[in-house]
Amino acid sequence: MRTIQAVFAYTVKEHLRHKAWLSAALFGFVLLAGGLVVSAIAQDERARFMLDLGLSANEIIALVSMIFLTVHLILQEVESRAVYLILSHPVRRSDYLLGRFLGTLLSVGGAMALMGLAHWLVLQLFGGVPLGKYLTAWACSFGKTAVMGALSLLLSLALTSEAAAMAFAVFFWILGHFSAEMRFLAERSGNAAIKTAITAFSHAAPDFAHFNFRDHWHGTQPGEAWILWAGVYVVGYCAACLALSVQVFEQKEF
Amino acid sequence: MKRPALAVFAAAAALTLAAGAGMRRSAPPDFPRLAELQTGPFAFQDLVIAATGFRASAADLAWVQLLQYGAGLEPAGYEDDKSKPYTYMKEMCLRVTRLDPSFHRAYLYGAGFLGWFRGVERPDEAAALLAEGQRRSPEDPQFSLYLAALAYKKAGDVDKMIAVLETAFDRPDTPTLMKTVLANIRQSRGENAAALDLWLRILANERDAGEHARARLKIQELRVLPPGPKRR
Repeated sequence: MRTIQAVFAYTVKEHLRHKAWLSAALFGFVLLAGGLVVSAIAQDERARFMLDLGLSANEIIALVSMIFLTVHLILQEVESRAVYLILSHPVRRSDYLLGRFLGTLLSVGGAMALMGLAHWLVLQLFGGVPLGKYLTAWACSFGKTAVMGALSLLLSLALTSEAAAMAFAVFFWILGHFSAEMRFLAERSGNAAIKTAITAFSHAAPDFAHFNFRDHWHGTQPGEAWILWAGVYVVGYCAACLALSVQVFEQKEF
Repeated sequence: MKRPALAVFAAAAALTLAAGAGMRRSAPPDFPRLAELQTGPFAFQDLVIAATGFRASAADLAWVQLLQYGAGLEPAGYEDDKSKPYTYMKEMCLRVTRLDPSFHRAYLYGAGFLGWFRGVERPDEAAALLAEGQRRSPEDPQFSLYLAALAYKKAGDVDKMIAVLETAFDRPDTPTLMKTVLANIRQSRGENAAALDLWLRILANERDAGEHARARLKIQELRVLPPGPKRR
């Protein structure tokens, strides 16, 4: 536990040093620019536009930051041989990975919280939104970001190429939003083998289609049971990816 | 166990599958499938934004493009047939609502445009839009109300049509366009006092800010006109 804490702390410091918080500044710019455009063109749906724009911008900036940071996270230390120095100490590889992942998640989560706060304050100019509902939408975006972080980490270790890992991470992000479509295809398929393959693939890809609380904001919202299951899903998916990452990392010879 | 990481993976994967099934059970998908998205010049844009998980934002963007189309800006590929003004109004509205069916204002805006806008008047297309809205959100009373108003319009019973439309006037999701249409109908019948009252209500509503400049002009114009018959 102590080693995880130590790795976690140095990861957070590293991200702060590398100005990961700049994503929040970028978000502020997007929000301000978006707000100016929106006030001119969206007419009587200004508040809706502002809400959707802010939540989407928060998620996309967090996603890009998360993929970029996690893909570099281990590979860069392997390339610079800093990992040798760390693993020569009594640090288990699983602790090292977990500390690195959690540190990155906290850094990106912190930036997301800043972006969320800025957005929520801007929304007050447009009449405001219920805080509980906003927090749920924010938490869903954070959950998706966490899942993508764990998946990117696994891909970076399995593929050992930053470019390939990033490309596959984006592919899985898009595929995750097709999960409902894939299941629909599987249902319609008359071929048992194809049906099984599509179903298996749809379960292996992250199920983001059911994760967009912000898309349900203006309509019927999912209940508490869904929020609970979504939380379990994020923890389970991250744990599965991290366990596989540890397995791959254990195989590597340093 | 020799490989604890694999044991953790197996347990976590089982948990994820169970949670995924629970999530789908507790919130079944109620969005139109991507295959149901409106085809046309914006299909690629809509598909890309929706497939990357930003359906609500894609609908907002489509809404802005719908407003631009309503203001006379025809996008490439949706050039109007000269004999049929606003030829693609229904398609543009369906584009918004297929991306986000909770965008009720798009249904109502389109129905208002197609059903009542001078020189457009295609009530069948308006009714088709409203019927789709009603099918997707039967709990919203606005759709049946507008359908009733359309039926009165087709039957030539303008008094009843106005009465029905006025019941929706102050609802937050009533499009500004529909409010201005109603005020203009009142004025065209010589009911200037009633029209003035409607424009004053438009001016007092922050959501109708897009029509405030026009409302001020109309109020000035109507204040000097005789009030006309009392509201029926």
